Parts: sequence; C-alpha cells; structure tokens
Amino acid sequence: MATPDVEPGASQRLDKETRERLVTVVRHTILLAWSFVVLFPLYWLASMSLKPPGTANSLPPDWVFLPTFYNYIQLVQSSEFVTAFANSLLMVGVSVVLVLLIGVPAAYVLSRYDIPMERDVLVWILSSRMLPPIAVVLPFFLIFRALNLFDSRIGMVLMYVSINLSLVVWVMKAFFDGIPETLEEAARVDGATRFQGFRKVVLPAAKPGIFSVAIISFIFAWIELLFGLVLTSFKAVPVTLFVYSFIGSRSIEWGMLAAASTAMILPIAIFLIAVNKYLAAGLSFGVVIKE
Amino acid sequence: MSTPSQTKSETADSGLARVRDLWNDYLPYWFMAPMVLVMMTITFFPGAYDLYLSLISEPTMNVFAADFVGLQHYETAFTSGGAAHSFVITITVVASALLLETVLGFGLAALVAGVDAGRMKSFYRVLFILPMAVAPVSLATIGRIMLNSQIGVIPYVIETWTPLASPGFLSEVPLLTVILLDTWNWTPFMFIIFYAGLSSVPDTLVEASRVDGAPLWRRYVHVIIPYMKPVVFVATLIRLIDLFRTFGVVYGLTQGGPGTATQLVSINIYEQMFINNQTGVAAAIAIVYLVMVIALANIVIAKVGFEGVWD
Repeated sequence: MATPDVEPGASQRLDKETRERLVTVVRHTILLAWSFVVLFPLYWLASMSLKPPGTANSLPPDWVFLPTFYNYIQLVQSSEFVTAFANSLLMVGVSVVLVLLIGVPAAYVLSRYDIPMERDVLVWILSSRMLPPIAVVLPFFLIFRALNLFDSRIGMVLMYVSINLSLVVWVMKAFFDGIPETLEEAARVDGATRFQGFRKVVLPAAKPGIFSVAIISFIFAWIELLFGLVLTSFKAVPVTLFVYSFIGSRSIEWGMLAAASTAMILPIAIFLIAVNKYLAAGLSFGVVIKE
Repeated sequence: MSTPSQTKSETADSGLARVRDLWNDYLPYWFMAPMVLVMMTITFFPGAYDLYLSLISEPTMNVFAADFVGLQHYETAFTSGGAAHSFVITITVVASALLLETVLGFGLAALVAGVDAGRMKSFYRVLFILPMAVAPVSLATIGRIMLNSQIGVIPYVIETWTPLASPGFLSEVPLLTVILLDTWNWTPFMFIIFYAGLSSVPDTLVEASRVDGAPLWRRYVHVIIPYMKPVVFVATLIRLIDLFRTFGVVYGLTQGGPGTATQLVSINIYEQMFINNQTGVAAAIAIVYLVMVIALANIVIAKVGFEGVWD
C-alpha cells in the first residue's frame, strides 16, 4: 500500500541529499586540484634546494632523495649573501618605521578632520601607486647620482617609503574611520591634549591595523627588484638582486639558486599567514572592510 | 619674592607650554605636512623630470644649457625604439592575466566560502594565499627551473607521462608562460579580497533568494555579484594598476626575449635607458606609459566611481 504522495517526496529528498554530496565531492576535488597547483612549484623549489650538489637538475628527477643543507650552508658562508641579506633587513626595516611615522598621522587627520577636497587628496595619494616604477626610477637615477645618493642605503630607504606610503595612508584611514570618535572626546574631557588623545587612546585601538600594514609594507619593499637593480651597485645591494645574480650568469648553480629563492620566500610566507586575517584590508587599500 | 632661578624656570615653562600649544593647535598641519611633502616629491617630480628628459637631447642638470629637440625622441621611440610593439605586448599580458585572475579568484573564493567544515575552510584560505609570498625573482627562478626544456620537470612530465609533445615554454610560448606565471602568483590577491567580500554579503539576502527557490547561479548573478560590485571593482582596479608595474619576473625569466617576444614597456624603457643609453627615448616611452596608465585608471574610477566603497 504505497502512499503516492509520500513516495515522490521521499525520493526527492534522497535526490537532494545525493546532489548535495555530489556538490561537496566536486567542490573538494577542484579545491584539492588547485592546492596541488599551488604547492607543487613551492615543493619543487624547496626540494631542489635540499638536494645534494650535482643531482639538483638530473632527469628523470630524483623523486626520493636524502635532504642535505649543503646549499644553505654555502649560502650562509658567502659573505656577499649575508651582507645583502643584512642590507635588505636594515633598509626595509627603517623604511617601514619611516613610512608609518609619516603615513599614520596623516591618515588620522584625513579620518578625523574636515579636509578641503578630501576626495581629491585621497585619489591623489592613490595615484602615486599608478606611477609605474620604471617611469619613476629614471629621474631618481639621475638625481641620486647628482646628490650622491646613488648606491646608498638612505636612497633605497626613500624609494621603499615611496612604494608604501599610499598603502599606509589608505589602509590606516579606513581603520581610524572604524574607531569611534567618542573615545578621544572622552579623553579630551579628562584633560588630555589632542596629541595625547591620539597617542594614548587612538593608536592603541588601531594597533592591529598598524601591525598588518607594517608587515605588508615590509613585504612589498622586500620583494622589490627594480630599484635595487638601477639605484645600487655594490654597497646598498638588496637581497633580491643577489638572488637575481645567480640567474643569467653563464653557469647557473641550480641548487644555490633554489636555496636563495626559498630563503626569500620563507619569511614572507610566515608573515602572510600571520596577518591573513587583515590581508584583504591591507591589499585593497582598506576599502573592502567597509560594510 | 622671586629668585632668579624661579623666574628662569617659569619662562622655560611658559616657553615649553607655548610650543606644546602650537603643537596641539596646529596638529592636523604637523600631521599632514610630511606626507604631503613626500607625495609631492614622488608624484609631481618624476613626471615633470621625465617630460623634461624626453624633450632634450642629452640629460643635463643645468636647465639653461639644455638642448631642446622637440618630439624627436617620441618619434624614435615609435619608429625604431619598439615602443608600439612593447605596448601591444603589455596590454596583452595585462588583459589576459587580469581576466584569468579575476575569474579564477572569484571561482575559488566562492568554492571555499561554501565549504562547511571550518577547519578545511581555513586550511584552504591560508594555503591559497601562499603564492603571493613568492617574490618576482623567486618566481623567475621557479619558472626557469621547472619549465627549462632540458632540466624542467614540467616538460619532462608532459613528454614521458602523456602522449603530448611539450612546448618550449620559454622559447616557443614565452608570452603565455609569463601570463600563466603571473596568474599563479597573483590569483591569491583576487581570491583573498573576493573571499572577504563574499563573507560580508548579508546572510539574510542570500537566505531570502534561497527561500524564493532561486537556483545557485541565479543567486550569484542577481544577488551576490551585484552586492559585491564595489569589491570586484576595487580588486580589479588595483590589480590592473599593479599589472602595469610588472618587471622583475619577466626580467629574471626571459629579459624580454627571445628576441622581443616578452618585451613589456617596463623592460623596453629599462633597456633603452641602461643598455642603449638612450635616456631621451626611455623618457619619451615613460611619459606615454604614465599618461596611458593614469588615464586608464582615472577613466575606471570616474566610470564606476568610489560610491559605496568609501563614505
């Protein structure tokens, strides 16, 4: 005695369940396939850097091998690499501190005060990002030579500041917009000056934003190649240029090249994962977090 | 009964107080000044100097000694300088990579957003941003190692595991290789921004259309994508601007070659300036490039506007 009006309903539900399961399977198949696309080149680079010398580029590839740190030890023992690495750390680090000192207060003013033509000011700031570095670097090359800033760490710091200033201003403006103004007003009532209100109330509240924008600025300066290539020759060479020097030379040491490239990726990867929560805001100049 | 020392400390106090007042009363000016100064230097100066360089015969610091040659460098750039070719190459790369990255990034974001298990979700989210950690030089290394026709694992796998013959990635299809490498590198950018955008779509909106019985694709076309328009716009605009900056990966991978097959405008300017010593020609191409990129970005901004994106 099948009840005709129950039967189709039940089978439909079953269908729906199967369909949902099918969707899940297809979804994860695609996502796992992309995971493989993402991971395989990274794995290959890292594994190449860990292969013993002479076997790095053998074909068919050694899918199974005993990892060795030979290439990395060679790298660390090379004084040129260590100098370039320290150079980059110093120049990029100082530039991040500077860009925050310049950009964060400006962003605060843009967020809190009525600025004449505020929209135009913001678009102008964004427009500095539109200048292709190759067009910018050419005048700076000639000026730097005239001012004795060529191949100097100070010159490189200035260039790194110029890359990141627009990013810091935009992202921090969005962050300050999200912090209620009543906080500083309360501090003002308690007798704090404007500056104290900014320093003791607003800045701590904006800490996550400052932290993530600092890391993203660090990364953008760290991976920059063109400025190093054009504006340095010996003293202020950044680590990107050192990695590049392995490429293009007549005999390429694949293992060392892979090791240096991996060494450059690893710290950035750790940074990115650490700030992945704020990444979207930082990369899109803060405009995405508006709701 | 004021001793001299007291008076002295009082004036010092009031002096200090005056400075403090000056600091607090004009706070917005102090806060804005350094930023405005740096911005002026990096926006107005290079453009103006490029323009100047493009109009004189030899670069000189002495403005009065400059020998103006009119538009001669522009003519050279577009006749023998390969400028036209490099613009075509650049637009091809920018357009293809932008399209691929937008579609892929949105697709992946939508797929990950629909994952039920929280742990799997964050696993995919963190994993998919990793390629962005790869600097242009490292990406060039990866390309050179994996795609090399002698030692590359990808041509090897194609040749031995499939019946297909592997193309010479760096010699026969270098432009496609550049586009694919950029897509691998920067799809994460689109992914993470679209993912954030998707998570900000109000549940009630999606729920309402689900109750109405709208099929999945309709929900996307009529509800989710219109809601996300500002996010899609911002992500695309920023990626568009950044794609025009591409230099390092192509320089490390092919140096613009073979021949001039991957000679982006940025590579062309670099070669004119630092290899051919043609400062004027390099500056002329740079000016055309600047005007083009800024015009394009402003057209997009004006057309779509920042409405709904910022207050």
